Amino acid sequence: MSLARRKLLQLIGLLGAPTVFLLVFFFGPLLIMLVYSLLTPGLYGGVDWIFSHLNYGRILGWADTRYEKFDPVYIAIFLRSLKLAALTVVASLAVCYPAAFWISRMRPGMRDFAIFLVTLPFFVSLIVRLFAWVLILRPTGFLNQGLMGLGLTGAPIEFLYTDFAVILGMTYVFIPFMFLPLYGSIEKLDLAQIEASSDLGATRFQTFRKVILPATLPGIVGGSVITFIPALGNFIVPSVLGGAKVLMIGNLIEQQFLSARNWPFGSALAMLVMSAVLILLIAQFRLAKKEAQS
Amino acid sequence: MILRRLLSLYGLLFFVFVYAPILLVVIYSFNANTLNMMIWDGFTLDWYRQLFGMETSLTQSATFVDSTDQLWGAVRTSLIVALSTSVFSTVCGTALALAVARYRFRLARFYRTLMTLPMIMPDIVLGIALLIFFITIGMNLSMLTIIIGQSTFLISYVFVTVSARLAEVDTSVEEASADLGATPAQTFRKVTLPGIAPGILGGWLLAFIISMDDLVITYFIAGTGNTTLPIHIWGLLRRGIKPEINAIATLMLLFTLVIAAAGLYFRSRRQK
Repeated sequence: MSLARRKLLQLIGLLGAPTVFLLVFFFGPLLIMLVYSLLTPGLYGGVDWIFSHLNYGRILGWADTRYEKFDPVYIAIFLRSLKLAALTVVASLAVCYPAAFWISRMRPGMRDFAIFLVTLPFFVSLIVRLFAWVLILRPTGFLNQGLMGLGLTGAPIEFLYTDFAVILGMTYVFIPFMFLPLYGSIEKLDLAQIEASSDLGATRFQTFRKVILPATLPGIVGGSVITFIPALGNFIVPSVLGGAKVLMIGNLIEQQFLSARNWPFGSALAMLVMSAVLILLIAQFRLAKKEAQS
Repeated sequence: MILRRLLSLYGLLFFVFVYAPILLVVIYSFNANTLNMMIWDGFTLDWYRQLFGMETSLTQSATFVDSTDQLWGAVRTSLIVALSTSVFSTVCGTALALAVARYRFRLARFYRTLMTLPMIMPDIVLGIALLIFFITIGMNLSMLTIIIGQSTFLISYVFVTVSARLAEVDTSVEEASADLGATPAQTFRKVTLPGIAPGILGGWLLAFIISMDDLVITYFIAGTGNTTLPIHIWGLLRRGIKPEINAIATLMLLFTLVIAAAGLYFRSRRQK
């Protein structure tokens, strides 16, 4: 057996099984979901194999079957999810950027330990971390006890089941996602450039805007994308901290599968989320490529 | 100088923000107050005793009915699933990483890009897609479907971890081994494998922890009777907030910390 042939056989041996597995159980399901999004829901929760575009029509606002009555309720929920995810990204940036800056200035030993401490909660059960916030935000929770103890408020404030709680919860659970890319680019900052900028008479703010910000932009973009994506389709955080009042697209999808039993419509909604994610990824990819060229 | 101080203060607040909620859960898992879990009323181990089915002074209304057996059933399911999934994903992910890093073929770059997809795919999308898929091909939802479903994205995590390690390992040692007359199998066993072992171990631990914690994908493809630990707690949370959850959460925390510490230990040994 020739060497080239033996190498080819080895390669097939390594790639073959995992590739087939992923083709069948990763791409297969996504493909079937696409097909389902174009089918008609059956009477008792199943599907009828009749192709239709009504599911997408319904998302766009025509909830009736004849495209007459216009009510963009689903688009509104989608936009709301985009808004909450975007606010989560902004909050994460505000929380993580200064912290990453601080940690990048530590002694090497301390620094590694600090980074370990930031990433550790990622491995702590998501549901445990969200439960902790329920304890804090509840009407009888620690936050309200503290506020009332200080006399800042007479009656408990309803923090739980608000947009605020959902954004706070998502910011909290996605901290490692935002922190690590940010830290990666802040660590690489050229200190000489910052000094040169202030030596040349730039104010701190000017130095930040003209030197530090552009240099750390890749980390900002990377962290934002990787936080935005899981925030957009999230349904656990809004379920635990948002109650029934804060509905996101993820909750809507869950309902279609577990209570409304309208799988084709749920699939169409999931296609919407997936498209948004893919568009974002392609945009980021293009941007990175352009930057690499210039 | 003032700016530096402010930054340090902010940094400390940041760590308070990250750890205070978790610490609260731990502290209040020892709270003896059965009526209002937010008010400290002395130290007790009753919530833990309750979880292990021991005698407690707790009243019926303070705890979830019949939850102990269900809890340990869920722990068992989670462990079986996590063990199977992590081993399977580690084998597949390592094979893919080896192929992409050590063989030259046209699709190598394509594979690298492709392998990020399962990681980045929103879990609810993957969860419902798998549910539809299993129902359509007529597969009953069982522990097997959970294992398959979780593997689809955990393979990617292992792939990334092992690839990172492969990129660090010097290929010239492998070439030297081949030049000195070792068969490819010998080179693999004696040179490549020991070199990437920390990466494989790290990938396996990562897959194990993520599998133990996976809620969304498992939620859709578990079916009835295959409750994993996160799904069990999810169910408890929906029934109400009772101090018992603090104790479960604290035990889970301890378990995660042990695994994370083990991972860290192996990593520090590698660096020596």
